[in-house]
Amino acid sequence: MSTTHPQSDAASSDAATASPVARARARRRSKHRRRVANVAGLMASLVLTGALYSVFSPAQAAPAEGANESAAEAAGRELYERSCISCHGENLEGVPNRGPSLIGVGEAAVYFQVHTGRMPLVRQEADAPDKPAVFSDEEIDQLMAYVQANGGGPTLPSGDLRDGDVAEGGELFRLNCASCHNFVGEGGALSSGKAAPSLNDSSDLEIYTAMLTGPENMPVFGDNQLTSEEKRSIINYVQTIGEQADPGGAGVGRVGPVAEGLVIWVVGIGVLMFGIFWMGSKA
Amino acid sequence: MTTHDTRPGSTGGADTPGPLHGGPDDDYTPEQLAAMPREDLDRLGARYDGVQILHVDPGPEPGSPMERRAVRQVGLTFTLAGLSALAFVVVYVGAGWFFPDWQWSVSGSDFSALFTPLLGATMGLALTLVGVGLVLFSKKLLPHETAVQDKHDGSHFDRVTTGATLVGGLHNSGLARRKLITRSLGFMGGGLGLMLLMPLGGLIKNPNTGDPLGRTSWTEGMRLVRNDGSPIRPGDQEPGSLETVFPAVPGGNRQSDAATMLIRLRPAQLEQMAPREGQADFGYGDYVAYSKICTHAGCPVSLYEQETSRILCPCHQSQFDVTQGAKPVFGPATRSLPQLPITVDDEGYFVARGDYPEAVGPTYWNRERI
Amino acid sequence: MAATATAPGAPTTRLGKTATEIDDRLIVAGPLRRTLNKVFPDHWSFLLGEIALYSFLIALLSGTYLTFFFDASMREVVYEGSYAPLRGVEMSAAYDSALNLSFDVRGGLFMRQVHHWAALLFVASIVVHLLRVFFTGAFRRPRETNWIIGVVMLVLALLMGVTGYTLPDDLLSGTGLRIISAIILSVPVIGTWAHWAVFGGDFVGELIIGRFYIAHVLIIPAILLALIAVHLLLLVKQKHAQFPGPGRTEHNVVGNRLFPTFAAKATGLLFIVFGVIAALGGLVQINPVWLWGPYNPAQVSAASQPDWYILFLDGSTRIFPAWDINLPGDYTIPALFWPTVVVAGAMFTVLALYPMIERKLSGDTASHHLLQRPRDVPVRTSLGMMALTFYGVLMLSGGNDVFADKFDVSLNAMTWFGRLGVVVLPPLVYFLTYRICLGLQKHDREVLEHGIETGVIRRLPHGEFIEVHQPLGPVDEHGHGTLAYGGAPVPKKMNQIGGARRAIRGFFKPIEEPAQVELEQGREGRGLAAADEARELTSSGRPSEGGRPQEPRD
Repeated sequence: MSTTHPQSDAASSDAATASPVARARARRRSKHRRRVANVAGLMASLVLTGALYSVFSPAQAAPAEGANESAAEAAGRELYERSCISCHGENLEGVPNRGPSLIGVGEAAVYFQVHTGRMPLVRQEADAPDKPAVFSDEEIDQLMAYVQANGGGPTLPSGDLRDGDVAEGGELFRLNCASCHNFVGEGGALSSGKAAPSLNDSSDLEIYTAMLTGPENMPVFGDNQLTSEEKRSIINYVQTIGEQADPGGAGVGRVGPVAEGLVIWVVGIGVLMFGIFWMGSKA
Repeated sequence: MTTHDTRPGSTGGADTPGPLHGGPDDDYTPEQLAAMPREDLDRLGARYDGVQILHVDPGPEPGSPMERRAVRQVGLTFTLAGLSALAFVVVYVGAGWFFPDWQWSVSGSDFSALFTPLLGATMGLALTLVGVGLVLFSKKLLPHETAVQDKHDGSHFDRVTTGATLVGGLHNSGLARRKLITRSLGFMGGGLGLMLLMPLGGLIKNPNTGDPLGRTSWTEGMRLVRNDGSPIRPGDQEPGSLETVFPAVPGGNRQSDAATMLIRLRPAQLEQMAPREGQADFGYGDYVAYSKICTHAGCPVSLYEQETSRILCPCHQSQFDVTQGAKPVFGPATRSLPQLPITVDDEGYFVARGDYPEAVGPTYWNRERI
Repeated sequence: MAATATAPGAPTTRLGKTATEIDDRLIVAGPLRRTLNKVFPDHWSFLLGEIALYSFLIALLSGTYLTFFFDASMREVVYEGSYAPLRGVEMSAAYDSALNLSFDVRGGLFMRQVHHWAALLFVASIVVHLLRVFFTGAFRRPRETNWIIGVVMLVLALLMGVTGYTLPDDLLSGTGLRIISAIILSVPVIGTWAHWAVFGGDFVGELIIGRFYIAHVLIIPAILLALIAVHLLLLVKQKHAQFPGPGRTEHNVVGNRLFPTFAAKATGLLFIVFGVIAALGGLVQINPVWLWGPYNPAQVSAASQPDWYILFLDGSTRIFPAWDINLPGDYTIPALFWPTVVVAGAMFTVLALYPMIERKLSGDTASHHLLQRPRDVPVRTSLGMMALTFYGVLMLSGGNDVFADKFDVSLNAMTWFGRLGVVVLPPLVYFLTYRICLGLQKHDREVLEHGIETGVIRRLPHGEFIEVHQPLGPVDEHGHGTLAYGGAPVPKKMNQIGGARRAIRGFFKPIEEPAQVELEQGREGRGLAAADEARELTSSGRPSEGGRPQEPRD
């Protein structure tokens, strides 16, 4: 598989040579971070954000503060009441049998659910499929601001999300993630129609927020369980092997023996059967 | 060879073949054979082999356009095969010399990811073209003959005579009468057979000494540690999370039966808790710990669905419900995942309260007894 | 007698002299001539076994190459090779050497992949060959021995595959090894003892890779080679079976002599098989162990599967219900025992004994060298299809998580489909196949009796429309054909008996000018147009003369 993933490609660049896209994202994130910096629960992740954070945040953070804070929340509330309220209820309290309460889920959960297009849900199914995002990036920011302001919760990380050791990430990935998402993040089936999604087209931030918030049936990997560095190692690993070329030819989906069995029957036996038909036909 | 050899050890040329030597050589003198054209000799030999050539469809006429075209095709195929084989050599030798390096790396050049495919393409093409050339050659340029060969099921003569020889030999040995020899032979055979089998006894070991299948490294007071060896506090996990933990012994994270899932339940799950009999106090607060080794075939089960409380095994899809003492609710597994009794030590870290109360991993014959 | 330079027929060329010298010493001329003159029937389906033979040959050659680099040891090492995502990770020496073979040996990855593809093709072609032998009745007396040898080789090929699959000690194969361990443990009474004997202790120990290695590279291949030799010797001794057809009897073989036609084609096939495997080995990645990671008993991946030939056992295990049998005295027969040991044992036993079973049931103890068309033996054909369906459902269930994921079906539903399908589908397929066989049989008889439908509609004087039928041979006073069914394909289209235009020659593209063929046919008086003038209608509306009976196609 040699498909390229524009998002992850952009985010893969080194910390030292942060691309404009990465910088823009960091700027957006830091904006929210300013706003909630006084929330105690955030302190832990602030400590962990590392050197990059200090590079990006001080310069742009100050002017943005205060001016549009409540405006973003208000816009978020408006969006919420338009698109989310029927399942998640008034004031994020949730509706029994329809949608869970969103109090305390944090902006990370909002980012993951809305950015991957899982929310808003089209219909109730075994699990929420990802699809093109309904909201623009700006609208997602507003929703995040609204949810974060009402109950707090996990926030978006900052800095280079691939700033980790790839080999260590591999060990952690195989121990914690591969059981559902497969060796290479191809995803896999779960019980009764549910499935762990493929990580191939996921951006770094999506993977990070998924680990942090445990969307749907995925277990939560809080920062005290997998530290921010470990998460970054895992992201580095899964994106590295997702992007790396297959040295041995076509990867046939990298799902292993089932695909290989199909290849040997369809291509191997197929070609040879054709060959012996041809040999046996009269000249 | 000369006709008269008088050196010691020779019979001086008086040695002539016996009367049974002959066969076809008696039917046809060298002179007769020399007078026959090659085609006739071929058919003659075939006839001796029970083969009759019914019909020969000669290949294309020499010099005909059809032949020229076929020759061109075959020649072209073989040439391409040779070129392709040389291309393989060039790729193999040239990589890292006049081509970029072949050694693949994650961020390597495009060529390194193409090296193996190029080898495969060139070698595959070369070999396939050789085969295609040969088939084309036989189909288009060789004469097509239809031959019939006789088939015999077995000769009565052979059976009778061989039987006579065998029975005669056996009779001469007198084994039927000399019972002592047959009996001692049988005895000796049995003894020898047993003797030769005995070294395999080195493979036999008693699986029940020390109950290795029923015990793990978990002991009372042993800390639950992560893969990197760090201990865990109750505050470390969020509700709805799972962490694989190991006993705090050297190499604990490589042991085949010690891996344990430490699960922090959500409040909603706690409400549905229905622990197994006598194991109600095995958890600690909203934490429970189950063996990660499937009771069906030993795969690590850890596909934890925190909303449905199910743990799925990726090998055979057994599903366990963590709120019901990890009872199997679907699939081929028959037993619950064993639960590890846990508590917290003085320093606030998780420890085991003892080993698993039952054998971990797949079921076996005398599992209930030890 | 000593050959002298003056003897008639004595070789005069250098080559001839050398040949004579050799034959003086080795006396090979006779056996060689018998070999060269051996007649092989010319039918594509007889080449399937050769594909298996050639792929085994490739596996042997490429495997030998791999042994130069592979270290079958479970010693713990830290990877320091050139694959960055694993650098610094602890792993066994076996996995380390498999990585080095893939990344640090020039062409090593290519050879590894060639070896693996050759192994997959080996088993696949054995299965196809077995199906051909089964459905044409080639296993009947006198070939039962070769059938049994074939089944034993199939089992050995599976063992070969399992042991080889395990060797790299990656996370995928290690998971498989864990299941093998559980299967051994599940055997009643002796399970734990057998496990201790095989693994040298509890799972996983330090010995198993070394033991599997010697089984994989020495013990099993040696037995396989010996059996292949016996298989081929018996084939030569018994001579090839053949399909019925003109001039073909139980007492002869019609076809090409080994030399040169058959030899050229067989060598050609050898190279084509080599070529296909080499192409796959380079172009399609197989078992990328670096992506799987080293084995660790606490780690696993979704969709862990064995190679395709073991998939049916994985499937039977997946769909088997959770039925432990608890015996008095606290003994247990684990549920795992049935779908693995018992199912596999029963399947291969029935397969191996099938010739004897069929002989018993049909009472047919005669020697057969003419093959049967599947439709003529509906019970066997239906049984075979039933077994294939059973196998197919098991195999599908072995990959049910991949199918569930890729096609968005519920995994539990897939399991239930397997559970029900394995019981319901085989009898259904038996019934269907039986009906189809009978229908085809009936149609053969019908064509023999009434002739081929020509598609020509004639209007009779009293206004009735009939379709003209072309009888295949002489007809009796009612216009019914008198040819009996001989077990060979019956021509059912006019062009198969030369009644239509001859097909333009050429396999890939026409190699003849259509106009030229037209002219040629006109000269030969072939085709409907040419025959039309000579045709008269009988009162029954059928041609009075049966046309020219033609050799049936094979």
